[in-house]
Amino acid sequence: MKNGKSQITNSLIDDKALLSEYLSESEELIDSLLADLDSLASRAGDSPDTNLINRAFRTVHSLKGLSGMMGLAEVQSLAHDFEDILDDLRLGQLAMNERTSAALQEAGAGLAALVGGAARGKSTDEDFERLRQLLASITLKSRERQKREDTGLEMLNLSRSERALLTEYEEHRVNENVRAGRSFYAIIVTFTIGKLDTQYRALVGRLEEAGELITTLPEKTSADTLVGFKLVFAAALKESDVKRIVAPYGGRVSRLERSPWRKAGAALRAAGRIMPGRSGSAKDASGEMDAVLPPGFAQESLQPLSPSVRVEMSQIDELSGLAHELSIGIEKLTSLAETYLDAAKLGARERFDLRFNARRMQREFLELEERLVGLRMVSLAQTFTRAARLAGRLARELGKSVSVEVIGRETQLDKVIVDRVADSIYHVLRNALDHGLESLDERRLAGKKARGKITLEARLEGTRAVISISDDGNGIDQAEVRHRAVEAGLIAPDEVLSAEETLRLILRPGFSTANQISAVSGRGVGLDAVERTIYELGGEVRISSEKGKWTRFDLAVPTTLVMISAFIVRASGWRYAINVAQIIELLYLAPEDILGRDGRRSVAWRGGTIPLVELGYTLGLGGARLLHQPAGHNGEGHSAGNGSVKVPVLITNAADRNVAVAVERFDEQREIIVKSLGSVGRKLKGISGAVDLEGGDVALVLDMPSLLVLRSMRL
Amino acid sequence: MPKSINDRTANARLMMAAFPVELGDDVADGKQDLLSVLMFEVGGAFYAIGVEHTEGVVDCPRITPLPSPPDGVAGIASVRGRMTVVMDLGLKADDHSSRRRLILVKGDAQLGLLADRVDGVLALKPKKVRPIAQGKDSVQPQRPEFGWHAKTYFKNGERRVPILDIELLSET
Repeated sequence: MKNGKSQITNSLIDDKALLSEYLSESEELIDSLLADLDSLASRAGDSPDTNLINRAFRTVHSLKGLSGMMGLAEVQSLAHDFEDILDDLRLGQLAMNERTSAALQEAGAGLAALVGGAARGKSTDEDFERLRQLLASITLKSRERQKREDTGLEMLNLSRSERALLTEYEEHRVNENVRAGRSFYAIIVTFTIGKLDTQYRALVGRLEEAGELITTLPEKTSADTLVGFKLVFAAALKESDVKRIVAPYGGRVSRLERSPWRKAGAALRAAGRIMPGRSGSAKDASGEMDAVLPPGFAQESLQPLSPSVRVEMSQIDELSGLAHELSIGIEKLTSLAETYLDAAKLGARERFDLRFNARRMQREFLELEERLVGLRMVSLAQTFTRAARLAGRLARELGKSVSVEVIGRETQLDKVIVDRVADSIYHVLRNALDHGLESLDERRLAGKKARGKITLEARLEGTRAVISISDDGNGIDQAEVRHRAVEAGLIAPDEVLSAEETLRLILRPGFSTANQISAVSGRGVGLDAVERTIYELGGEVRISSEKGKWTRFDLAVPTTLVMISAFIVRASGWRYAINVAQIIELLYLAPEDILGRDGRRSVAWRGGTIPLVELGYTLGLGGARLLHQPAGHNGEGHSAGNGSVKVPVLITNAADRNVAVAVERFDEQREIIVKSLGSVGRKLKGISGAVDLEGGDVALVLDMPSLLVLRSMRL
Repeated sequence: MPKSINDRTANARLMMAAFPVELGDDVADGKQDLLSVLMFEVGGAFYAIGVEHTEGVVDCPRITPLPSPPDGVAGIASVRGRMTVVMDLGLKADDHSSRRRLILVKGDAQLGLLADRVDGVLALKPKKVRPIAQGKDSVQPQRPEFGWHAKTYFKNGERRVPILDIELLSET
């Protein structure tokens, strides 16, 4: 939201921590709301899914409460209006048609935009007014009140006081079930107070599998230690079937319809007719929500929407680091144990125990590390939901019609990857809508359905997730691509390219600028930006297309990602990356500081003597370098003022011992994305991955503690 | 809408399109399920791998050596944004200089097979594929330590070409 003249200053949340808490909480609520509205929209026309509407209602209700707590009165009141509309939908007083659902989606997006703005004090009166009017128009325009329903309660054998206990919503459900031709049953059950909770829930669970539990009414019992209920249950089941379900709980079952109605109902059902409608009372029902709720329901509605806690990513990373340190310690301990096993006079039993426990501990640490990685994973649901919504809006802007199919939204990826890949998904999507899908006329001419189809799909392929964005538009014309590429000077006119290579030309920088710019997708960034992003993540973009029929972009990205701050060093002519967290100090040593002979060298450091090893030698690349003599060539080492060459050395720690590691040269420190070496590479000790360097070079990422523990057991 | 452009048959089709297909002498009846293998030559040795296990053939980028690598592993190369473990199954294992192509193998192992020359895709009748028996019927002089990378072979002229087993390969 832009700053406006009439800023609402009193709704600003000053406390930063509180603001971020509010934003993240409300973001979750809004995402859930938008997802539900999308699902509702996708089945507009059918009878709306009451569960979805109920959930959306609860979400808006929570948002209302949350905003109220923060003193955001405007958001609170808009949420209240929104709630009213959803309530009308629940009660069937508002028809769910395409227009309503589209307006609801728009209102949802508006609410999403306002929440952030309002919390930061950046929303204007006009912003609120616009949304308020939109919400009002939904109620006015499409309040084509559905035919008033006969209150089907007339036909149920309930006392006046029992009937008074029913909420308007429950009444509505009775009517719906009458329409659907289901039978009504009264189930009377009594439980002892001790078993009430579990037994009641179990019974409700069984009943809900078989039909709809409309309400639970209190029922008198003979003893104080007993609790009785009358359950009003509707199902397309015979009485004997219901009795079978209830039997284990010791309940009594009876038909609830008054007998004349039962006959009429049967006759109507036989004739394939539904019950006629008549106008009923429509008072404000929003207050009656929590009127009479049995224990199970009350608990459910009090539960927060999600049973999770929020943790900072950095905390997870710290835990991972700690677990990794511990696992290296265990490895060291294990190898020590192996050494002493032979020395000590142990029986077979003790040997076995020692080995067995050491192995188990190693395994468990491995699992711990894997689980910690798992904590960073989030699903693509949010991103896909937003993408689908974006597609709908863009299509409208472009005067096109599109349906979006989403597959695999539950696919899990590292949060960092999801955040980074989202823009690329939106970019490719915009491209598909703008260039992929034809105009309505073109589609008609091509004999296609007017409504275009876009599919967003995510699936796992080994350690990678593949996110596909496909459209059934006019495909990519290879001849045209080639022509443009030659024009833009990307290829020589006579260059021979395979089909795939030709398609990949559209990813080249400079290709999109050769293209015409449109309002939607030509916003300065080309598909080359998409490819660069994906490549940097350790992934790959694949394109396939059939001219006139479809185009598909596959974005393959790793599911997990490790980003570290690393120091790049050289040894034996190759570059290596070392996590700066594993480096205690960097220093240049004069040759005379190095004590001892080759193979047993040490240096004085911080008042003690620590072993010195040479990285190239430790890695098994060539023999030990003569550290006492100037290296002389390749600009190795560091020239000190007096002309003698100093040796670059880093101090690290392995299994509680400090170790000096001599390298050929210090390069630089930088942030790197550690790429996995796959299932084979993972078995390599001392290497935690690799990183792409400029010029197609690769640097191995060294894990110093395990490398040193592995290579020089004499430490 | 393409449901699975990456499925096995599609992949086989792509590979077939990329390389000349040599059909065995007796495929006239053609009705049988043929096994498509990619045959390649590396360091004087011949191997084949099922086309459905491959992801493509690329020019091999610079290989970064690994400290004490397992047998047959030449190092790491970055291909299409992925770190690939490059395997050299050649007889002269230390000479990587002449190798030009890298056959990308599907799967979590992120393996690539070095090749001096990719000979093309062969369509084999199932009966042409024979198990490698221990001892006698041994395949032609491969490096002995790689004997366990293949369970089957076929005859290409007088040459016995082992068909690499993807699981054995990934256990490297």
